[in-house]
Amino acid sequence: MSKCNDISLAVQKGKKNDAVTFVQEALSEGIKAEQILTEGLLPAMDIVGQKFTANEIYVPEMLIAARAMNAAMEILKPMLVDAGVKPIGRAVIGTVKGDLHDIGKNLVRLMLEGKGIEVFDLGVDVSAEQFADAAAEHDATIVACSALLTTTMTEMKRVVEVFVERGLRDKVKIMVGGAPITEAFCKEIGADYYTADAASAGDVARNILVSA
Amino acid sequence: MTKMERVVESLFHREPDRVPVYPILAGVTRNLVGASYEKWATDAETCANALYKAAKDFDLDCIVTLIDLSIECDAWGQEIVYPADQAAHPNYDNCVIKNTDDYAKIKKVDYRTSKRMMMHIDVCKRLVEMANGELPVVTFVFGPLGVLSMLRNQADMYMDIYDVPGEVKNAAREINETLKEYTNALIDTGVNAVMLDTLFASASIMSPSMWMEFEGGLVRELADICHDRGTLVMIHNCGEKIYFKEQIETMRPCAISFLHVPADCKDFAECKEKYGDKITLIGCVTPALAEIGTDEEWDEQCKFFIDTFKKGGGFMLATGCEYPSGTDLTRAKRMVELAKTYGKYEK
Repeated sequence: MSKCNDISLAVQKGKKNDAVTFVQEALSEGIKAEQILTEGLLPAMDIVGQKFTANEIYVPEMLIAARAMNAAMEILKPMLVDAGVKPIGRAVIGTVKGDLHDIGKNLVRLMLEGKGIEVFDLGVDVSAEQFADAAAEHDATIVACSALLTTTMTEMKRVVEVFVERGLRDKVKIMVGGAPITEAFCKEIGADYYTADAASAGDVARNILVSA
Repeated sequence: MTKMERVVESLFHREPDRVPVYPILAGVTRNLVGASYEKWATDAETCANALYKAAKDFDLDCIVTLIDLSIECDAWGQEIVYPADQAAHPNYDNCVIKNTDDYAKIKKVDYRTSKRMMMHIDVCKRLVEMANGELPVVTFVFGPLGVLSMLRNQADMYMDIYDVPGEVKNAAREINETLKEYTNALIDTGVNAVMLDTLFASASIMSPSMWMEFEGGLVRELADICHDRGTLVMIHNCGEKIYFKEQIETMRPCAISFLHVPADCKDFAECKEKYGDKITLIGCVTPALAEIGTDEEWDEQCKFFIDTFKKGGGFMLATGCEYPSGTDLTRAKRMVELAKTYGKYEK
């Protein structure tokens, strides 16, 4: 479908206005919202993620792609709801308490949404208790925590502890990421998955939900 | 061998008595003088005393005046938040640049109107006096794009680079004009080197061509000021896959302080092979290891970098970024001990 391809290219290049125009044109041509999502937007974000991982594009390009994707999704969302299109699962994400960095977390949100996952973004400076409250409230399968500072990364341990204390640990997979985080740290605090970048976070999250 | 001699030997790619060591002790030094984070970050006497005490107590081979990354943005009126247990940072809910039109407001300012810049200059003056030529003092300057990101917030600035590139460039240029005078004032204090923080020259953020276009030319001017005045240039960049080649060409540094394997190297060994005779490598112990894991894991990493980088000089053992500010200093002490023992050069 060439219109979906146009939409995909516009998102990949971060052309927000083009993406919106092409989505509106596609809808007026009778293409269903779900088809635009599955043949235009989601493949676009797959390609963006692959290029990011391969260092063919960088954070600024990811951000403008995200902006284009979000603008297109704003148009499609009500139609997808009406059509009963369901996400493949739910995730709660946030940057841990004491940490105000949100670019990495926002890119993870984007990549998760790009995999068809419904994301509840708690923002920055999120306490362990807030992660647990939100996971319970939204019946989330994935909890993704971000930290950019060596001073705040230990808060992730607290997140794991709170899920254990509340008897929620077996209901969720806890993902961790951010500049100072390592696989060893992930294991040490008892989290489930460490991913080095946003694109691989999307892949891991999808695999968790598909194999659940 | 004095600390100054040890560091100079290493910078000249000759083997001193042992590898010099500097576990980037910054905010954590406040605890040595019983100061709050805010007091440490705003009072020159407190900050200088803390940094000097750390150097003395832990027998460090140099002092770097890294306070936080919001020193410079104060000159443009950015509201700064001083948390009790973390480094100061801009209030991102109240950025000076709120929309793309606001870039035009950013003009060259007189650095002497900035309390934080003047405080930093005062810190350098005091440290140079206390060090008395025996201990190298390295001052720290955040690059112009970094300062601009503090006035706007990074995410929006990245998108503005695509939406209004000319405005971003003009604002960065104006900031740099201020930084040039500020750098001169820092050099006037008698510091031995200027360490430029080039956060964005990293594949974890932007392409090398974008960095060259938006910041490379500007930091070249800052580095040229240092070279013209006979002051050493160093670079700090703790991003992943940083651009050694472009930064070396642009700033002609004598040393790079870094955390991760550079963009054009497959591992640290290749980094030594490729760049070890051109610049002094400073790093690259993971700071988070000071807080997690075991003493043995910490020691193992220190030893790994000594083994990988020590040969022929041109190496200073350090953390790849600031030592965690809320952690005790046990592992900093271990790092220094390892430099003194495991890091000895055979004569």
